[in-house]
Amino acid sequence: MMALMSLATALDQLSTFRTNNSRSSQETFKHASVIIKSSQKIGDDGWAVLEQLFLAAVDIGRLDVADECLKQLSTQFPDSPRVEVLTGIRMEATESPDVVLQYYNGLLEADSANAAVWKRKISVLRRTGKVEKAVEELSQLLDTIYTDVDGWLELADLYASCNQYTQALQALSHVLLLASQNPFYFQQYAETAYTAGDLPLALKYHLIVVDMCERDLDDIKTTPPTGLAVRAWMGVKLCARRIILHSPPSASGTAIPKSINVIEQLATERVLAAYSSSKRDKSAMNREVVVSWVGAR
Amino acid sequence: MAGPASLYLDPQIRDWVLFPITLVMILVGILRHYVVILLQSPPKKLPREAVREQRALTRSQVLRATSANSPIPPTYYKSISRHLYDAFEAGTYLKDGPPREGEAPKGPPNPMTDPAAMDGMMAGMKTQMVMMVPQMVIMGWINFFFQGFVLIKLPFPLTLGFKSMLQRGIETTDMDVRWVSSLSWYFLNFFGLNGLYRLILGGDNSADSSRDMNANAFAAPQAAGPQDFGKLFKAEKDNLEFAEGSYTWVGDGVEDRVLQRYGKA
Repeated sequence: MMALMSLATALDQLSTFRTNNSRSSQETFKHASVIIKSSQKIGDDGWAVLEQLFLAAVDIGRLDVADECLKQLSTQFPDSPRVEVLTGIRMEATESPDVVLQYYNGLLEADSANAAVWKRKISVLRRTGKVEKAVEELSQLLDTIYTDVDGWLELADLYASCNQYTQALQALSHVLLLASQNPFYFQQYAETAYTAGDLPLALKYHLIVVDMCERDLDDIKTTPPTGLAVRAWMGVKLCARRIILHSPPSASGTAIPKSINVIEQLATERVLAAYSSSKRDKSAMNREVVVSWVGAR
Repeated sequence: MAGPASLYLDPQIRDWVLFPITLVMILVGILRHYVVILLQSPPKKLPREAVREQRALTRSQVLRATSANSPIPPTYYKSISRHLYDAFEAGTYLKDGPPREGEAPKGPPNPMTDPAAMDGMMAGMKTQMVMMVPQMVIMGWINFFFQGFVLIKLPFPLTLGFKSMLQRGIETTDMDVRWVSSLSWYFLNFFGLNGLYRLILGGDNSADSSRDMNANAFAAPQAAGPQDFGKLFKAEKDNLEFAEGSYTWVGDGVEDRVLQRYGKA
């Protein structure tokens, strides 16, 4: 009975990992090993578990387990493109990048629109420092498959890693178009704009995040901001302060709002409200730091 | 009309005709399901250019979908919109590249000569054959061996209007409508077994044949058939211009909205 219970919870846990796309390789490895050892029939779900176990095993370096999984998967699905990608991942663990790239190129020649293989190839390119080539390939991938949000995020990240923030902003604007319901992407956009030096644009986007996060608060004046909203308010404060001091130009032609002083005051209030808990522990220290930061000009 | 027990059915009819017909139809349906699965060719792999052509429209659709309250600032919106407009105008996204100067625009390819369309049509015909042949055989079998058999008596009375439905193949005018003939039993099964198939084979089965009666092999591929992307792109250009007209940025006046919520405006 105990074994059955733990089997059920393990399966449950693994399917949660799968749906949430979370990595948690150690956990996955533990749970999946339980299932594989129990050697019970678990139907078609078993193959998904096997794939999951394979990825987790590669991640934590248990290549023996990974090889066993891969062997079973490739006997069950001989010509599956998904297993081909797994084979590539296994090769990446031990073979040299050139060999792996050659393998991926071969797969792409057979099916040039296989996005999974294409992405693996790009990741290998990036890992080996060929950023230029990676950007080129990734742009081509996104030109073909426009709706890939993760691809656009990766492109933005690649550009940002080369200090090309304007290009990063362009990539992020596609992310916003594709996933305009996610405030975290707006926050990323705001911070990239800030780094690019476009302060009015950054201010606008921080305010949009605030607008999105605090839309459903009932009593907005007394509820302190939480989570992403705190970060966004800090961004508002930071941008507003620098705009008031320097009134910088905006590369995107965004106008500085007339009410900038009121916004700055409100941001100060909100940031302080977020750190005004009366607990006497670490938060007291945090509060001092924040208060001095807010007060500093 | 005769008395209450006007007609006695030999139990052997039940054992050797009624049950076999039902059983054969169920089994043939299940068999068909698996034959169709076997016949299905794997989806053809499209080259990069074709995928790009197919999905090019999504770009402008995504852009347009939020244009009335767009998440991206005006300069970026304009540049994306202009870029797409020019690309659609020039035909950059077409599979075979932009049309060359002086070259007549090609019409949609003839499905009879285009091998890709031909493949799709053949697949449709193949499944169609698997649908039709067994039904014809069963009907022939019933017609040959059990013509004019009365198989079953329904436990409830019916009006005369049901006579043509329930007593097909028996040309009498004064038999009670509750008696069901062999051919009618075949048709009842033909149309009524879908629920059972769904129970046995799952919702997405291809065992039910009554569905295919009105679908023919040529209609399906033509509906999803070769599209003239050049024309679609040209039409999308206008949509882009409309969307650009109704564009507003979500960042417009966001500071006032926030301030208003805190009562500071």
